[in-house]
Amino acid sequence: MKILVPVKQAALVEDDFELRDDGRDVDPDFVDLQLNEWDDYSLETALQLKESHDGIEVVAVTVGDDDAEDALRTCLAKGADRAIRVWDDELGDADPVVIARVLAAVAQRETPDLVLAGTQSSDLGFSATGVAMATFMGWPHAAVVVALDYSPGAATATVERELEGGLRQRLEIDCPAVLTIQLGINTPRYASLRGIKQARSLPVEELTPEDLGLEAQDVGEQACGARVRKMYLPEKGQAEMIEGTPAQQAERIAAIVKEVMGG
Amino acid sequence: MINPAHESTDVTRELFQNFSTGGIVLFYIFGFLALGVFAWGCYLQIRKYRRGVADGSWADLARRTRDLVVTMLSHRTLRRRDAAAGRAHAAIFFGFALLFIGTSLIFIDYDILGPLGLSFWHGEFYLLFQLTLDLAGLALIVGLVYMMVRRGWIKPPKLDYRRPDREPGEPDADRSRYRIEDWAFLWALVIIGITGFLLNGSRKLWLIDDPLVWDYRWWTPVGTSIAYMLSGLGLSSEGAGVLRTATWWFHGVLALAFIAVIPFTKVKHIFTAGGSLMLRDPLAAQRLPKLPEDGEDAGYGKITDFSRKHLLHLDACTKCGRCHEACPANASGLPLSPRDLILTLREFAHEQIEGRTVDADGLVVHGDGVNQVRAETLWSCRTCMACVEICPVAIEHVPIIVQMRRWLVEQGEMDPMLQGTLQKIQKRGNSFGEAKRKRGKWADELDFPVKDARKEPVDFLWFVGDYASFDPRNQSVTRDFARILEHAGVDFGILYDAEQNAGNDVRRVGEEGLYELLAENNIASLDGAEFERVVTTDPHSLNTIRNEYPQFGGQYQIYHYTSLLKQLIEQGRLQFSKQLGYRVTYHDPCHLGRFNRGFDAPRFVMQALGLDLVEMERSGENSFCCGAGGGRIWMADPPGKEKPAENRMHEAARIEGLEVFVVACPKDLTMFEDALKTAGYEGQFVVKELNELVAEALALDKQATEAA
Ligand code: SF4
Ligand code: SF4
Repeated sequence: MKILVPVKQAALVEDDFELRDDGRDVDPDFVDLQLNEWDDYSLETALQLKESHDGIEVVAVTVGDDDAEDALRTCLAKGADRAIRVWDDELGDADPVVIARVLAAVAQRETPDLVLAGTQSSDLGFSATGVAMATFMGWPHAAVVVALDYSPGAATATVERELEGGLRQRLEIDCPAVLTIQLGINTPRYASLRGIKQARSLPVEELTPEDLGLEAQDVGEQACGARVRKMYLPEKGQAEMIEGTPAQQAERIAAIVKEVMGG
Repeated sequence: MINPAHESTDVTRELFQNFSTGGIVLFYIFGFLALGVFAWGCYLQIRKYRRGVADGSWADLARRTRDLVVTMLSHRTLRRRDAAAGRAHAAIFFGFALLFIGTSLIFIDYDILGPLGLSFWHGEFYLLFQLTLDLAGLALIVGLVYMMVRRGWIKPPKLDYRRPDREPGEPDADRSRYRIEDWAFLWALVIIGITGFLLNGSRKLWLIDDPLVWDYRWWTPVGTSIAYMLSGLGLSSEGAGVLRTATWWFHGVLALAFIAVIPFTKVKHIFTAGGSLMLRDPLAAQRLPKLPEDGEDAGYGKITDFSRKHLLHLDACTKCGRCHEACPANASGLPLSPRDLILTLREFAHEQIEGRTVDADGLVVHGDGVNQVRAETLWSCRTCMACVEICPVAIEHVPIIVQMRRWLVEQGEMDPMLQGTLQKIQKRGNSFGEAKRKRGKWADELDFPVKDARKEPVDFLWFVGDYASFDPRNQSVTRDFARILEHAGVDFGILYDAEQNAGNDVRRVGEEGLYELLAENNIASLDGAEFERVVTTDPHSLNTIRNEYPQFGGQYQIYHYTSLLKQLIEQGRLQFSKQLGYRVTYHDPCHLGRFNRGFDAPRFVMQALGLDLVEMERSGENSFCCGAGGGRIWMADPPGKEKPAENRMHEAARIEGLEVFVVACPKDLTMFEDALKTAGYEGQFVVKELNELVAEALALDKQATEAA
C-alpha cells in the first residue's frame, strides 16, 4: 500500500525582519526555510505505519521551487521511499486551492491508499490545502487528527480529532481518505545531517503541472481565488511594564487610570 | 650465608621429593590440562575481541609499553582517591607477580635449564629467592585480607552493585553473581596463599633432620613460623610428611585450577586491564573519533560495530566503582552509571559474540531488552570525563557513549528539545536560533569598536562562542573581557557573522554530520582571517578547536582567557589598583580542567586579585560537572531530582563565610546562577565569572560605558 504525504518548505522569519519591496511578503534575506512543523508529524505518522506493517510505501510530495527540494531531502533522510516535486513558475502566487489541485493531480497519478497532510503550515497557516485536496479528489477527510488507528488494507480507519475546550471526537472514516495531522500526535524523529547528505544522492522526481495533465488556466494566477495584497505589522498596542515597589506600582496605576479616564 | 660445610648446589629444594613416578606424571597431566584450558579461554576471548572493528590503537607500541610498565609499577591510577585500596592492591599485585615469576623460574630451572646442566636455582640465589617469595606470599595474604574486610565490613557504597539504570526486579537488575565471584576470587587466592605457607611449614618440619633444609629455615620466616606452630601443636615429623603431601596436592591443583579459570572469570583483568592501559589514549574524551568517510552507518549500533579496543575495555572493568562514584548523572539519580554501562555491554558481548557462531539478528545493543542499553541512559551523560579521568584501567566511557549516541541520532531518536536546538544550529549556526547577523551585537554597547577580524589582521582572534555571544547575562561578561583586553592594550578582533557554534557539544551529542559542517565552516572562517593566536572565554570551544579541529585540517594556537590573563599579569600589562579580598571558591570547568589541564592559570589570576580561595572538596581533576555538558544544556533535567549544579551549590555552601563562587565558563555561569536560586542560597553568596572580578579590580567602569 501507499501513503502520500504532501509537505511544504515553510518560511521561518527572523525576529527583526524587513518586508519585500512590493510589500506583499517578508524580504527573503530575513527568512530561513525549513520543513513545515506540522508536516514533521504527518510524515512521522506515515513512517510509523510503515515501520509497523510490511509493504508500505511512503511518498513525499511538495509543490515548490528549487529551494523546496530541501524539505523533500529531509523526508527522504527520515525514511520516505520516494519524493516528488512539482513546479512551474506559473505557481509563484498560487493560493492553497491551486496547490491542492496540483496535489490532487499527483494523488490521481500515484493512487495512494491514504493521504496524510499537516493540519496547517507554520508560515501562512491557511489550514486549507489538505481539506481542499480531499474535495478535489472526492475523498472523505478529517482535520486536526491527534490519534490514528489504521491497518493497511482496512476499509475504515478510526481517528480522533481535537476540538476546542480539550474535547475529543472519535470518528470512523472510510478509506481511502485525507487526514490532516495535528502537532503532538507523535514524537517526530530527527533528520541527522549525515542522513540529509546521504539523501542528496537519492532521486527526486520533478514534474510540471503539465505532466500531470493540468492546463495553464488551472494553475495560473487567474486560477487563484485569493490574492495577497499586502503584508504588514499592525501598530503596536499600548503596553507598559510597571516596575518598582508595590506602593510605586499602585501610584503609577492610579496615575494611568486618571490619565485614561480623564479624571 | 652458606655454611662452608655445604656444597652450594646442594642448598636448594628437591622438587617432587618422595613422589612416585605416577604422582609426578599425574601432576604434569593436571598442569597441561590447566594450561590447555587457559589457552582455550584466551582464544575464546581474543576471538570475541576480533569480532569488533580493527582500529589503529596499536601504533607506537614502545611508548605504550613503557607507559604501561610505569603505571603498573607505580600503581598511580589505583591509588587515586582510594589510597588504602591502592596499597592493598599493590600488595596483592606485587605478591602475586613475584610468586608467579618465582614459579616460572623454578619451571625454567627444572624443566629447561636443568636438563642442559645450567641449573641456577640453588645456593645464595636460592636463599634470597626463598626470602623474597616468603614475603611476597605474606603481602598477598595481607592485601587480600584487607580487601575482604573492605567488602565485608567497610562496605564503601561504590562497591554496592545497585544499578541506577534498572528497577529492582527487572531480569538483568540483579548483580549478585558478581558479588559471589568477587568473594570466590578473594577466597581462592587467600587459600592458595595460606596453603602455600602450610606446605612450606610442613615440609620444614618433615625435613627437620636435614641440615640443608633446617639450617637455612629462617630464609622463609613465615613458613618456618608455621613449622614451629605445627610442631607446637604436637605434629610429628612423619605427620608433617603426610600433611606436606596432602597440602602439596591441594595447593598445586588449586593453583592450576586458578590458572585455568583466568580467562573465564574476573581474574582475566590481569590481562585485560593491562591491555587496556597499554592502549590508553590520553585524549580519549577530548578528541572523539572521526567517522570513516565511506561509512554507511554512524556510530555503535551493534556490538560488532565496537572497536576491538572498546570490546577489550568491556572486559577490563574491575567494577571498582570509582567512575560510578564520580558520575554526576548517577549522583542526580539519573539512569546512568558508567560502570553499569560498561558491565551491561560486557554481558551483552559475552552473550552474543563469545560463542562459536554469531546470530546476526541479535547484535543491536540498544533497546529495553536484557543487557541492552536504553536511550535514556545514553542521554543522561554530560560527557564530563569524570569517569575516564578516574578509571584505573583507562576505560573510555565517553567515546563509547558518544559512538552509541551517534547511532541514536542516525535513527532520529532524541529528546524533542534537543532536536529543536540542533535544527536551529543547522539553520542558523547557533544554538539560540538567533539570526547570524546578531552574533557580534553584544559589542555595540562598548565605547570602543571591536575589530572585525575578517577585514583586518589582529594579534588575537577571539572565538566568542554561542553562550558568550547571545546569552544576555553572559554578554555582560563578554564585554568585561573586551574591556580588559582593551585596557591591557591587546590587539584583538572577532569574526562577527562568520563565527558559528564551535561544535564541541554538538559532537558530544552524537550529531557528527552537523559537527563536521560546523568545524569546516569555522575553519574556513578562521583560515580566511589573519591572526597569530586564538583566545576564547568558552572552555567547550577551546577544547574542540584545540583538540579536534586538527582532524579537519585546522591547526591553531588557542588559549583559554585565563591563560591569557595570567600572561598579561606576568608581563605587567594588567595591574590591579585594589585587592578584592573576598572569600571565594572556584569551580573547575570540565572542559578547561580535566579536558585541558587548565588548573593553574585561573588560580594564579585569583591570587593576583587578592582573593581568599578556599577549595571545595571536589576540585581540580575531581571537579564535579555543572551538568551542562554533552548537550545536556539543551535538554531539561527531570523535575524533582537534585540537579548536579544544585549538588555543587550545597558543596560550596559548606565553606564557611563564602562570598563568591567563581566560574570561568559561560555555561557554568548560567547553570550555577540558576542553581544558586533553586538550591536556596540566594543572598548567602553570589556566582561570578572571573572576568567580572578582574574588571572590578581594574576598576573598569562598567556602568558608564554600558549606559552610554
Ligand atoms: S562523562 Fe560524566 S556524566 Fe558521562 S558517564 Fe562519565 S562521569 Fe557520568
Ligand atoms: S569502568 Fe573503570 S572506574 Fe568504572 S568500575 Fe570499571 S574499572 Fe572502575
